[in-house]
Amino acid sequence: MTQIVMSGNSAQSYAALLARVQVIAAYPITPQTTIVEKLAEFVANGRLAAQYLQVESEHSALQSVVSASALGARTYTATSSQGLLLMHEVLHWASGLRVPVVMGVVNRAVAPPWSIGADHADTIAQRDTGWIQFYAESNQEVLDTVLEAYRIAEDPAVRLPAMVTEDAFYLSHTVEPVDVPSAETVDAFLPAREVRAILVPGVPARLGSFTGPIEYVGFRRDVARAMERVLPTLAAVEEDYARRTGRDHGGPLPTYRTEDADAVLLTMGTATTTARAVIDALREEGHRVGLAKLRVFRPFPVEAVRALAASVDRIGVLDRSFTFGPTGAAAMEVRSALYDASPRPLVSDFVAGIGGRDITPEAITRMFALLEGPEPPELTWIDLAAPEASADG
Amino acid sequence: MLEIRFHGRGGQGAVVASELLAQAAFLDGKRPQSFPFFGVERRGAPVTAYCRIDDREVRLRTSITRPDIVVVLEPGLLRAGSAMEGLKPDGILLVNSREEPAALPAPAGVRRASVDATTIALTHGLGTPMMPIVNTAILGALAAASGAVSLGALEQAIDRFVPAHPAENRAAARDGAAAVRVAPPLTAGHSRGASSAVARAPPLELPDAPMAVASSATIATAAWRTLRPEIDQRRCTRCNFCWKFCPDVAIELNAEGFPVVHLEHCKGCGICAAECPPGAIAMVAEG
Repeated sequence: MTQIVMSGNSAQSYAALLARVQVIAAYPITPQTTIVEKLAEFVANGRLAAQYLQVESEHSALQSVVSASALGARTYTATSSQGLLLMHEVLHWASGLRVPVVMGVVNRAVAPPWSIGADHADTIAQRDTGWIQFYAESNQEVLDTVLEAYRIAEDPAVRLPAMVTEDAFYLSHTVEPVDVPSAETVDAFLPAREVRAILVPGVPARLGSFTGPIEYVGFRRDVARAMERVLPTLAAVEEDYARRTGRDHGGPLPTYRTEDADAVLLTMGTATTTARAVIDALREEGHRVGLAKLRVFRPFPVEAVRALAASVDRIGVLDRSFTFGPTGAAAMEVRSALYDASPRPLVSDFVAGIGGRDITPEAITRMFALLEGPEPPELTWIDLAAPEASADG
Repeated sequence: MLEIRFHGRGGQGAVVASELLAQAAFLDGKRPQSFPFFGVERRGAPVTAYCRIDDREVRLRTSITRPDIVVVLEPGLLRAGSAMEGLKPDGILLVNSREEPAALPAPAGVRRASVDATTIALTHGLGTPMMPIVNTAILGALAAASGAVSLGALEQAIDRFVPAHPAENRAAARDGAAAVRVAPPLTAGHSRGASSAVARAPPLELPDAPMAVASSATIATAAWRTLRPEIDQRRCTRCNFCWKFCPDVAIELNAEGFPVVHLEHCKGCGICAAECPPGAIAMVAEG
């Protein structure tokens, strides 16, 4: 193991290198581009024996790796924002065909207006496509999760595609120290993909062609059942990874200082790190507050959220996107998971940090003030005005 | 925790400077974090980069609004005014400038430092007069003036992570460390022309749809120019190449057919000078 100061994008590239991916499809988009640039470098200098396909669009990028994966290859591609939206049709193909594609996504705001800032709207808009979704807090978690994602996606019990996301700039272009496991460690954890080719060259077959309603329902139900097996598989895979590397990212909903907490904030991605510091500061002042990190959004960890709710009175949800429902997407999932809970904690949603807006310690402190206040609102848009002005008001 | 904010222009190496500083801090045994903020991703456009250095893991994932140190890679950015925003009263301002540090505007209490990183970079063949790569020279100055990182770690980081001309970049860092000058802080009441106050944004008023009525005909688009084209009419053959090639339509032809540069739109890219067949256009540094 060596420690390297690298960006979140490099963590994606190093993970693909260590996973010994065989086919990479590349199409550039800010802030993703440096992921596939680094992979091009690995391929060009002989460190990675992969076919590197430069394609003409994101739609083709995903289609290329879906096809290669159907032939049994381990594949990688990456995108962001508008590029992911263009992939939308093929995202369904990947899960429906049961190919274990792993993709890096840099979470970036969706236009208009044009923005390259961090925002989860791009991947939240893909929550219904049958992909496993991981949201990473640090560059270390990016690297480890991509490796775990291959094991889970390729597990015979799962066989579903997975995306590992990271916040634009707050991870994609942030350099910080990352432990890089040795090739031997990763080879033992993640051996070459057991060939489960769906298509075999020379054997004519059609994939995903016309199906009657009886079979169609069956295939959809199979995807749903595969999704149900993701979290148990994650638990086993994480245990194995921890045994080999000493690192365990704590399942789909790791918690921080929740043991005696009355109010817990549920975060996704990089806001989690800043929230930890805020929670420590509020604890110093006597507030009984804690944190839960929603690391896996699909499948949604319903049981873990119910277990958390059993011991807390109030749950705040930080949504780094807004999807024009009654609340943000994560808050809706949490409320749905808790409908039958008794006692049922109050759920308050905070929409913050969209379009690349900083989620400052002050903003998180205000969320806790609202959450611990007399009447936590169902939905609050944080930092609608200038940061200084809102800090005063 | 030490928080350092870099202000530069796209192409000068501000982002790489911040990353190299993080690499050097790591070699010093610290826990660094560095990331850039891009507005428009374009050569010459203002770029900000942030670097945090701490003894333990950094637990903030936000931009730096109250920096301990501000590093300005191009003095023209000081005129824009926002570079010093939020700079701590006992902080350090380091500017790439030929001027003595005592001549730099700064709020009271701030230690001012300057280094002629442009000349150092060009001496070592780093970049071109049009776009000198000043980042390693100014990092050497930063190490010497602030102690944020050791010069040894900085040289090691340059050796490992600068792909082109590592020896020249190391030499530039050493020269920057040797050449940096520091002026004592100004006392209250004597600070000139600079404030570290954080600007209060006006109340947000949005149009009905995300539409900006804007045209480069009505907006001065030349704020980031560092070099201006000067046309020698005696050598000009009126071939119109400069007029054809100018990407910003900042050159017009007068009644006699001679080119005239509209400096409110010229970004100083130098394409006209590069294309001019008789070499009648010189790029001259802005004052």
